[in-house]
Amino acid sequence: MVSQSHSSPITLTRHGTRRGILQLAPVAVFFIPFGLAFGVAATTKGMPALQSITLSVLVFSGSVQFSALDLWREVIAYGSLALVVMAVNARHVVMGAALSPWVNALPLAQRLPTLALLNDANFAVCQGAFQAGERDLGLLLGSGLVLWSGWVVGAVAGTLAGTSVGNPVALGFDVVMLCFLAAMVTGQLTRRLRLVPVVVGAAVSVLAMPYLPLGWNVIAGAFVGAAAGSWVHA
Amino acid sequence: MPDAISAWIGILLVAGVTVGSRLSGPLLMTYLPLSIRVERFLQNLSLSVIAALVASMLARGGLREAAAVVMAGGVMVLLRKSIWAMGAGMICAAGWTFFAG
Repeated sequence: MVSQSHSSPITLTRHGTRRGILQLAPVAVFFIPFGLAFGVAATTKGMPALQSITLSVLVFSGSVQFSALDLWREVIAYGSLALVVMAVNARHVVMGAALSPWVNALPLAQRLPTLALLNDANFAVCQGAFQAGERDLGLLLGSGLVLWSGWVVGAVAGTLAGTSVGNPVALGFDVVMLCFLAAMVTGQLTRRLRLVPVVVGAAVSVLAMPYLPLGWNVIAGAFVGAAAGSWVHA
Repeated sequence: MPDAISAWIGILLVAGVTVGSRLSGPLLMTYLPLSIRVERFLQNLSLSVIAALVASMLARGGLREAAAVVMAGGVMVLLRKSIWAMGAGMICAAGWTFFAG
């Protein structure tokens, strides 16, 4: 357990941040075409360049931004937009909670920028590292920074280039996040055999799809999977 | 397209909800004292949330996405390198689009 097995304090250092940047830099390279795909989609839909780029800089989430783009009409229904964005974002709340034993040990001024850049990819990397004894949250900040940079570079390029760059889907860039997350889950499974939360989480997420709005099925899977895991591995 | 003011309100709304969701997990946890049981639950939660997310993406995708995930998982088991696994999955998806359309 976190509090018992490690006595060294939780820190956020420049060295750790640099490590996070270097470790996730190769993944960030793949975020460029991923961001590009959003920029192209936004421009194609008619969103002005400044708005599209601002959205990518502030939001930094492919799933959230593509969902918002779907609802970007002549008259925006703010209520529906807020609800959809909340549903797609709900997993961030769960991820933040899972990281809380480490994140909450930081002073508030360090906590906020670190969390503001939380995303699926750096969560997948960092939760494993922290559970394995990593104490430097620079890893989370640095990996968030470098992935955000890749996303923004791609989004700016895609917004300005528009449709002239071709179709990123044909090159397989739409599955970047899916494949990276699948690799992270596989890697964790082969290191520490904890099948129950993975299998139950995945099954409930899929089975709940017809009954829950998209996004909430993931939360249902996460909670039931975690409960099952805690019960079996108690 | 919405007019400029409506669009900017929309952008701030999306950004606000997203940043709020990133900050709120640890904030909520400050109200829950960390016990062994809570920590164990959170450990399992960190695995189950990624698994649930991958499963949800897969269920919405088709055979192409499934093939890419199998490829990524297989390469990960063999080589233990997430970047290679991701690259192999992408090549698989690109090849699928190229040959099967």
